[in-house]
Amino acid sequence: MPRPLRQRKHVEILSLEDAVKKYMHDGLICAYSGFTGFNRNPVAFAWETVRQGFKDLHVMDRHGSCCTWLLNAVGAINIFETDWMGWGEMAGKLDISLERRYKDKQIILEDYSHGAMAMRYLAGAIGAPFIPYYAPLGSDLLNPDYDALGRAGLRDGKNPKIAKKKFIQMEDPFYGDGEVVLLPAARPDLAVIHVTQAGDRGTARWRGVGTIDKEIAFAADKVVLICEELIPESELRKTPETNQIPFFTVDCIVEQPLGAFPSSVPFFYDYDAPFMRTMDAASRKEDDLRKWLDEWVFGPRDWEDFIGKLGAKRLLDLKADSVTGYSTRMMRGKKPAPRMTMPLSVARSGF
Amino acid sequence: MSKSIEELMELVDKMPDEPAKSGEYILPELMAIAVAREVRNDDIVFAGTGLPMVGIMTANMLDAPHAILIYESGICDGKTMHVPMSVADQRAANMSSTLGGLIDTFGYYLQQGFVTLGFLGGAAIDKYGGVNLTSIGDYYSPAHRFPGSGGNADIGAMAGRTAFIILQEKRRFLERNDYTTTPGWWCWDFKTREWKPKKEVWKDTPFADCGPDSVVTDMGLYRFDEDGIMYLESSHPGVTVAQVKDNCGFDLNVERVKGKTRAPTYKELFVLREFVDPELIFMPLKMDYPPAIQSIIDR
Repeated sequence: MPRPLRQRKHVEILSLEDAVKKYMHDGLICAYSGFTGFNRNPVAFAWETVRQGFKDLHVMDRHGSCCTWLLNAVGAINIFETDWMGWGEMAGKLDISLERRYKDKQIILEDYSHGAMAMRYLAGAIGAPFIPYYAPLGSDLLNPDYDALGRAGLRDGKNPKIAKKKFIQMEDPFYGDGEVVLLPAARPDLAVIHVTQAGDRGTARWRGVGTIDKEIAFAADKVVLICEELIPESELRKTPETNQIPFFTVDCIVEQPLGAFPSSVPFFYDYDAPFMRTMDAASRKEDDLRKWLDEWVFGPRDWEDFIGKLGAKRLLDLKADSVTGYSTRMMRGKKPAPRMTMPLSVARSGF
Repeated sequence: MSKSIEELMELVDKMPDEPAKSGEYILPELMAIAVAREVRNDDIVFAGTGLPMVGIMTANMLDAPHAILIYESGICDGKTMHVPMSVADQRAANMSSTLGGLIDTFGYYLQQGFVTLGFLGGAAIDKYGGVNLTSIGDYYSPAHRFPGSGGNADIGAMAGRTAFIILQEKRRFLERNDYTTTPGWWCWDFKTREWKPKKEVWKDTPFADCGPDSVVTDMGLYRFDEDGIMYLESSHPGVTVAQVKDNCGFDLNVERVKGKTRAPTYKELFVLREFVDPELIFMPLKMDYPPAIQSIIDR
């Protein structure tokens, strides 16, 4: 939301435990970085959130992820405003705990499309109250009867972060290009963003896709960065064109190597599909899920202890190579990855 | 002696262009290849995770080497060496032209009108190509709740043409979906609460003529007629037209059937098995190569 600046943010560097304690609250509206369960999820932060027992969260995000999987596993989310409630694509499409809670009417799901959520974040990032977008006219996503937050009476203006309407359809008044849909800006309280490197003042850099992380950084009131490496700000200033998040948006930095496991951080480590499959399998029975949580979430002393439990072999297999940014040592399917030197498409046709 | 990847690459053009025989390939392979054949060399393709991704990668390695593959996490023209498990997989970003984010793919590329072909999945489809990925039964108390739209509704509505890959069952091929996630050639006009042709609902927008173009299932290949109604174009080898009709929840037009779906060729199978999904992430099992392929590898 536009917030004319009265006081500049000053970044603080905290431990994972302290950052969660300070920046997380019951009932907060949160957004998490990355893409589905595969890329740069701030898993360590969500994991610590579960351990500290925060609840009644409103997740406003463009997809489910390893973070929402963990939070749903303990029933910490009450409202999920998103476009895709799965989490692991090819490693576990449905979030079983979420489905269970939805059937028991313990969670409100508000459906948008992926592009629509992205546009809502763009509006939130640039301080616009709403944004016009075409898609998807004629879809039940824009059925006035299917407004879950409105039906629950939450669009009454009491919570300034919940839009008073899900959308408004109107005719393009400028060029006459048909009907468009106005979507409300996304204005979360907290964005948690896992990055590759953060400077000690808060400038941040990642490699690989950006998904919508710059937008969530600007749309949210508070921004917590989790980084693989906390490095001198001056180092990041040598090649500013490769940085994505300006330091003045950041409130807090946590250095947490392997903090995105089991999702990937391109050029650092790959995603762990077998581990994600065991998460998916555990969620299918409530007893198994409880055991899994006891072993992997509540059991370890801290995140380092959790990573230690995975064993050196697994971490070696996950280590990304510095050329492609991923690992070919993980058994993702039923056969090992072949050694490739060039994409066949390029070998056959060039550019 | 196993051959190096470079040696195998050189064998691609030596593989026969003839269709493989029944029993030499499995159904998911036939479906992936049917997807690949929808891709034209000048297409800009926006595809979802799963068989659509496998199919368009195969096309990119064979007959559509200059097709541009867009992946929704922000990837422009990825040239993959290893099959991605997600559209945000670093594997999909390999040798891409630029990397951005969702605003790039849904805004700059899709809503700006660059995308000529969308390739998507779905849980259920209606006779107008409208797709349900959200819920079965009452929206608020569903019998089944699926993950929801993802990028499906955006891509399906705004790509020049859209192809869907979907499993065929009576309960998935419907007169009308319980929930229309991605609008087909007929959809809702919520201003008047009428079910209307998409061309009217989207009148004057740049996307009024964009919509479903083909559907690939495990039983057949479908297209849409002048009225936007799905018809059977071909049934897969080993599947009769009667069986297709039996597994369709609406009265399917089979007047335009042009025979059987062309089986994958040996060349297509070789590329799919050796270069697209050798790790068996999407394909359930690795079949032994038929003699027509193995004899060339052994030569």
